[in-house]
Amino acid sequence: MTFADGLKAAALLFVAAIAQVSIFSQLHVYGGVPQLVLVTLVGVALLRGAIVGAIAGFFAGLVVDTATLGQLGLTSLVLTVSGYWIGRYGETTGRDRGHAPFLSVAVVTFLYAFGILLVTFMLGERAPAGAEMRSLLPTIVMNLVLTAPAYALVRLLLRPRERADYATEVQLLG
Amino acid sequence: MAVLGNSLQRSKPQPHPSRARTAMVRRLVLAVLVLVALGLLTISFRSPNSGFLHDAQSYGSDALRPFQIAAVRVARPFRDAYDYVDSLASAKSQNAKLRKMVEDYRSQALLNASAVQQNNDLKSLLHFEAGPQYPKDFRAVNTAVVAFPSGAFSQQIVIDAGSDSGIHLNTPVVSADGLVGKVTTVGHSTSVVTLLTDPTSAVPARDLKTHVSGLIRHGQGGTLILDRVSKDQVVNKGDWIVTRGTVDRRYPDEYPYGIPIGRVVAVGTSDIASFLTVQVQPLADMSSLDAVAALVPKHARAKP
Repeated sequence: MTFADGLKAAALLFVAAIAQVSIFSQLHVYGGVPQLVLVTLVGVALLRGAIVGAIAGFFAGLVVDTATLGQLGLTSLVLTVSGYWIGRYGETTGRDRGHAPFLSVAVVTFLYAFGILLVTFMLGERAPAGAEMRSLLPTIVMNLVLTAPAYALVRLLLRPRERADYATEVQLLG
Repeated sequence: MAVLGNSLQRSKPQPHPSRARTAMVRRLVLAVLVLVALGLLTISFRSPNSGFLHDAQSYGSDALRPFQIAAVRVARPFRDAYDYVDSLASAKSQNAKLRKMVEDYRSQALLNASAVQQNNDLKSLLHFEAGPQYPKDFRAVNTAVVAFPSGAFSQQIVIDAGSDSGIHLNTPVVSADGLVGKVTTVGHSTSVVTLLTDPTSAVPARDLKTHVSGLIRHGQGGTLILDRVSKDQVVNKGDWIVTRGTVDRRYPDEYPYGIPIGRVVAVGTSDIASFLTVQVQPLADMSSLDAVAALVPKHARAKP
């Protein structure tokens, strides 16, 4: 990860976070809301690995929480873990798989919703799981629709790494 | 062959030092970020409206404001185009309905004008003292909405005005149609407004026609419920619901009297329920708020 790559990823996530809170949050379809910031994070983490994924998630969450004057750290916490998990998947099993972005988006949308619910519940605030779960399917569908263009844009800005650059823990015996 | 038959156990493979280091760094980064996020969350949760972190967040929000406004402006033409197409579909039926409503309101306005005159005369005769009146005792801080609720259970918006404009905690916020909610977090130049449809929201309200009082709470599917209305009281379908305002000056209400909230769409009851189920359709469309007005009292003493 070069400095230029870091700047590009930061700019991309910043724009995605601002667009999320100012534009995409208004698009309610059957209760679901498209999550551009999550989809962009999936792209960055898949292409740049777990460390960048975690840092990118933390940064994107911080922008979202600051822009909405919300609970600072709430979105950061869940997006950090999400970015790390997607990054690990991208470094190992999901490497070079065409379906990796779509699978990651679908799974992480579910985990993100669950994570936000869990942390909100642990803070002692109202966390209506029913409402969140009802809106989950439309949200996943909308996120999947966003995945192809968002991932293509991220891939255009952050070129995929060489195979040798991937951090792996697979070792040959002998 | 002798080598193949050797029973000597192969030594356990040692991870490559650089890879082991990478794994350690990776886990360390995750742990540090999670701990920082938890720290921020703890501080933010313990002092949501004051303290160093709140100030820092408020300044951060100020810095992000131009970007949010720019994003809203970029999206506006597309949104307007959608609204235009959407409104065309229902324009014909709405036109006939609105014409009839205008006729009704015209005759009602004449009656109201004479009633207002009579009311003023009677008040002056009685030397009647009242709290601040809506809207004349309030200054409207007109502002744009710069961020919208991001989750299924988040019913808050961020407005482009804060303490710099005189906004404080619990300032009522209205749209052109009616009450929207109240300010629950104040920054220097941005504020968070908790909408009427939020589960934590409760607004004392009254039926304009039958003078029945109750509490407006959130209901199913973006509607509201006029709660705490006993079964012996009368509320009719189509009645207007407005804010109740201050009843006892020792316990001033956050909302002035008379801000329109919504219209009763259904009234129900059951044998086991203690209260009527009064469903109210809010006048303000909470899902498409572009601009709102925060009601700041004109005079320091003019508290609701």
